[in-house]
Amino acid sequence: MSDTPLLKIEHLTKSYRDSSSGIEVLRDLELSVEANEFLCILGPSGCGKSTLLRCIAGFEEYEGSVKVNGREEREPGTDRFMVFQDFNQLFPWKTVLKNVTYPLSINRKGDKDEIRRLALEALEKVGLGNFANQYPHQLSGGMKQRVAIAKALALGSPIILMDEPFAALDAMTRSGLQKEVLRISESEKSTIIFITHNIQEAVILGTRILVLGQHGQILFDRKNEMERPVTPASPGYGELWEQLHQALYEGRLSSEL
Amino acid sequence: MKKKESHLRSILIRVVYVLCLMAIWEYVARSGMLGPRSALIFPSLEQIAAAFVKNFVRGYAGTSLWIYIINSMKLLLTGLAIGIILAFIFSGISMVSYTFRKIFDFTVSICDLLPGIALLPVVIIIFGVRREVIVFLVVHAVLWPMSRNMLDGFSSTPRIYVEAGRNMGLRGMRLILGVYIPAAASYIVSGLKSGWARAWRGLISAEMIFGIASSPGIGLFINQMRTNMNNAEMYATLLVIIIIGVIVQYGILRPIEICTVRKWGMSK
Repeated sequence: MSDTPLLKIEHLTKSYRDSSSGIEVLRDLELSVEANEFLCILGPSGCGKSTLLRCIAGFEEYEGSVKVNGREEREPGTDRFMVFQDFNQLFPWKTVLKNVTYPLSINRKGDKDEIRRLALEALEKVGLGNFANQYPHQLSGGMKQRVAIAKALALGSPIILMDEPFAALDAMTRSGLQKEVLRISESEKSTIIFITHNIQEAVILGTRILVLGQHGQILFDRKNEMERPVTPASPGYGELWEQLHQALYEGRLSSEL
Repeated sequence: MKKKESHLRSILIRVVYVLCLMAIWEYVARSGMLGPRSALIFPSLEQIAAAFVKNFVRGYAGTSLWIYIINSMKLLLTGLAIGIILAFIFSGISMVSYTFRKIFDFTVSICDLLPGIALLPVVIIIFGVRREVIVFLVVHAVLWPMSRNMLDGFSSTPRIYVEAGRNMGLRGMRLILGVYIPAAASYIVSGLKSGWARAWRGLISAEMIFGIASSPGIGLFINQMRTNMNNAEMYATLLVIIIIGVIVQYGILRPIEICTVRKWGMSK
């Protein structure tokens, strides 16, 4: 491997031109993400963390550049697969299995049998092997999110973007899914960028944690070297929690000014 | 179990209702309470039943009602197919081109309000008295409501579906086929329903106004029964028209709905 990071963001500036004030959501943001990192991004509401993810995914227009393995990307692509917060990201007109095989067949990831095998394998990994022939409306919110993750796994996307995927779930389901994502991130060779506003979630999941302030200013950027699985009883947990809380609090203050 | 019970009950109510109507009809027919015209307005059920059979066996002028039905259905299906395909094509292009969408949307709004039968004189001048006229009217009947529903369906496609589609690399035509059209399924189904209803009415009306000797249809048949004062046959033909409507509604449209939007949990 050369020195090029997997994902390199340079001078990223995003403003909504249509709003009269021309609000700059992100200003001159610089960020590099290495392969196999689990990057958690924390930030107060309105700091532009979701916008950052949408820029990386290619859904937004912006100034600056987003490079994957040194190649500039501006359109959505399966090398940066997004798992949305919205449960409705699955197509209701396709079964669970078809929802997973569809992106594979569009992107010609093998013949029919191979695609089916990959999809079933991915569904097994998220514990939904028995639900392959159900329709999304027959699944709970947590299960739908797992299918969305299975899509990314089956595609083998090098970068998986997750925009608060568990924010709308109840605490029990959420913690179950966190464990699963953790397990997946350790066994699969993918890089995950995970947006959350929950400090605990960031500490449990992230191998690197970022706190964004106003205009996407990076207030905190540190590797999380705590031994996994991280629990509130892990040494250093309280300290890290406190630091993140402090950084978030500053971020909120700066955005209120 | 409860559901089944209420289902049986609703069937029972309908059966009793129809039996009551038939009883009243038969009473009026036999009592002659409407004077000398009674037998014309209310032929007895027995006569109507006999006429029903006769329509198919002997028909009119040596041609069975079957032939008339088949002729009508041919024109209807041709028109429906053309109308539906055009609706898909035009609505699809509307999603790609802003200018086309504005023009098409405007056209749909105008034409949707125009009863097809009012166009008949114009169409006859253009095509002459030919079967194409009826096909044209059926296309007119189905194209606009179908397009209106599709345009509405496309524009109300949740953004999350579109983004999920783009996320997996869908673009342009493939995004329309893979996301917009299935996402608009419930709109397309209701477009089909209203399109069919209008086409069926339009077809019968047009056939009644002018029958084409080369392709006589049900509308022509019922009109001939009227001119010949074959009133029992007239009522029997009405029954046929109702039965065809019911078959299409419950035998075709309903199953389409159940196999798509209901199964997918997308009913409006």
